[in-house]
Amino acid sequence: MPLTLYVPARTTLHQLHPVTKLGLLAAFVVAAFVVDRPLLVLPLGCAIGGLLWLAHGGGNVRRLRVMFVLVFIFTLVVWTFFFTGFFRPSYAGFLFGLSTAIRLDTFLAAGLLFLTTTRVEEVAYALGRLGVPYVVGFTLTLAFRLVPAFFDAAASVVQAQRCRGLELGRGGVVTRLRRYVPIIVPVLIGALRRADRMAMALELRGFNSGRPRTTYLRARAGRADAVAGALAVATTLVYLALWASGAGRLAGRP
Amino acid sequence: MSSPAVVVRALACTYAGATRPAVRDVDCELPRGALAVVMGATGAGKSTLARCLTRIVPCFLPGEVTGDIELLGVPVRDRRVGELAGTIGMVFQDFEAQLFSTDVTQEVVFGLEHTSVAPAEMPERIARALGAVGLAGFEGRDPTTLSGGEKQRLAIAGLLALRPPIMVLDEPTTDLDPAGRAEVMQVLARLRAEGLTLLVIEHDPAAAAAADLVLFLRDGAVVARDTPQRLLGDVGACAAAGVRPPDVTRVFAGLGLPDPPLAVEAAADRLRTAGLVPRPPAFHEPVPRARSPLLEIRNLCHRYPDGRDALLDVTLSIGEGEFVALIGRNGSGKTTLAKHLNGLLAPTAGSVRLEGREVAFLPLEQLAQRVGYVFQDPDHQLFAATVAEEVAFGPRNLGLAPTQVEERVAEALAAVDLHERDADPFLLDKGARQRLAVASILALRPDVLVLDEPTTGLDHLEQERMLELLARLHATGRTIVIVTHTPWVIATHARRVVLLAEGRLRYDGPLRPFFANEELLAAAAFRAPDVTRLGRCLGCTPLTVEEFLAWTPRRS
Repeated sequence: MPLTLYVPARTTLHQLHPVTKLGLLAAFVVAAFVVDRPLLVLPLGCAIGGLLWLAHGGGNVRRLRVMFVLVFIFTLVVWTFFFTGFFRPSYAGFLFGLSTAIRLDTFLAAGLLFLTTTRVEEVAYALGRLGVPYVVGFTLTLAFRLVPAFFDAAASVVQAQRCRGLELGRGGVVTRLRRYVPIIVPVLIGALRRADRMAMALELRGFNSGRPRTTYLRARAGRADAVAGALAVATTLVYLALWASGAGRLAGRP
Repeated sequence: MSSPAVVVRALACTYAGATRPAVRDVDCELPRGALAVVMGATGAGKSTLARCLTRIVPCFLPGEVTGDIELLGVPVRDRRVGELAGTIGMVFQDFEAQLFSTDVTQEVVFGLEHTSVAPAEMPERIARALGAVGLAGFEGRDPTTLSGGEKQRLAIAGLLALRPPIMVLDEPTTDLDPAGRAEVMQVLARLRAEGLTLLVIEHDPAAAAAADLVLFLRDGAVVARDTPQRLLGDVGACAAAGVRPPDVTRVFAGLGLPDPPLAVEAAADRLRTAGLVPRPPAFHEPVPRARSPLLEIRNLCHRYPDGRDALLDVTLSIGEGEFVALIGRNGSGKTTLAKHLNGLLAPTAGSVRLEGREVAFLPLEQLAQRVGYVFQDPDHQLFAATVAEEVAFGPRNLGLAPTQVEERVAEALAAVDLHERDADPFLLDKGARQRLAVASILALRPDVLVLDEPTTGLDHLEQERMLELLARLHATGRTIVIVTHTPWVIATHARRVVLLAEGRLRYDGPLRPFFANEELLAAAAFRAPDVTRLGRCLGCTPLTVEEFLAWTPRRS
């Protein structure tokens, strides 16, 4: 199963400059972070939802639907019952829980929108353009490549040990932890061996060749980027103004 | 006259901490555009030779390298691996470790970016590299969605984009199914036609047939170098180097004919001319006796969480004491089916019963003692500090008393012929690790043994040893099910073939009719063993060389 959420489509959103997409993500996160009123957070969530739909991200939303619902319900319940005290339900808590729930789902959706429209390599590129060292972006790309392989191997190891009668869910805490040794050792050793081979393969492809690096991805910012950038800046400014004026705050917030 | 592509003089290499050299006294020269195939047993120094050429030894794997290596007339001494990118490329068996990107195009771009290729030049290089490996049109795909053969070809494309005149391939097809193997072999033929110098390490003699030069390595030294006709046509030379001689060679040697050809068709012509045509006996197949079914699979369907159907309506039963080969292309559902036999996977629909009881409902402990499953990669299960501890793990999980555990360990290790009780499992060679994995399952005393590709990645002698082990276990009454791609492995011991194609049962029956059915073989992307193909050219279907020879009347 591919780990990436990227949907290869040629929508305007996909074709935005990676830095613009990163900027949009930042704008949404900041805006949703600074206000508390559900009625103010909700429009952001709706806007992102609409963009996700435009970016063909519906499948991704479906893939993570359980997460969206769980985060929402859990947050709402926790805040409602624990806002003013232990197991003391309150209306203020409910309101705050509602806004936090919408906010967390908005964060989630914003992240999803970003990953739906941006390849990991583009993220690395955007980070590079923003002055982040190449190694950081590259490590990110490699992680996306390695994590699924790691989980595949782990699943295989768990099955192999089950065939030898290993039952993980039995016994006390210490016994249970010890039961993980036959899983952890092969997974780690396998990962280290593969990492070793990967280091060789990287260098065989010219990593550390001593020659200066060039870049294939050459995103050019166009009119769409100007519009998206302006929208991002405007949204951030409006929400920051709401925060500064106090209009975005919920009454009764501790 | 331009300098040769590769010149190796008095090369010796001893890994740090090793007592004897991995490679010694190697001298060889490869003219530009040559295809050399390096063969030999595990530990003969094949990979070390390849690693010295690419400077992986000593840059990555510390060791002492003496002697001289020149690539295109330039000495490589003191060069880093990365500096040689664009001069020499190297492909390994583990294709997953050679892909770093989440997109096919980016994968090819990677090397270009790191070797200062101008961006304007990249699109053409990408298109050519992907075209050369038959992956044109795959731009933008996520590599995790590719098949093994496609992944390996993508790894090759990533190197090809750097336009290295020399490529080294270390067992590039070992982890692939027959279809994937054929794809990679086609790519190699194309690269050769384009003038690349290729050094290929392979166990399969079929891959060596087209080579200009074959090198046999043993204990780190080159023990024979010649044309494939000469070397692979010589049973003695093959045996001395631990290389499996081609079937045709063995047939010719058995019949006392000189100069065996490498192609099956040519061999058939020679035999016909010589009047040495096998005459199979009229009734050679014993009537299979009815056996009590041990495992019954009825209308089995399995759907993966992502909605793909892995198995569709599979019905078959496996009797006590049978030896069944489960075959099919990668992704045909054979491993999925095998994993239902011991409850690792549960049916989406249908049922799997062990002596009438639903496998999915049997407790793990009980099931583990009835159906043992040996995974393809022994390294997915080895974790203990010693061989004996490793084998004791299973019996201990069953809650047996120490004396019983000890008894089981001794019995299992004896069965697999492994006597280094206190050795570190991780330091054993691949064949011994594979046998240890079998022992760790045998210690549970299962009646049924399911093995996923038990011979993959082993050299010829280790494969023989593993098969002898399986034959012994079968002879003691165990039911054996093996998942495999290797034709001769099936032909030697299995008496029943189960073929899956796209999750459906395509064939279930005896071996001989299967090997005689071209259409089925094509559906499975499966090639019958050479001796069977040779027999088919002459109007019969022998399964082994011994059978072919027994059927062929000789003039006294």
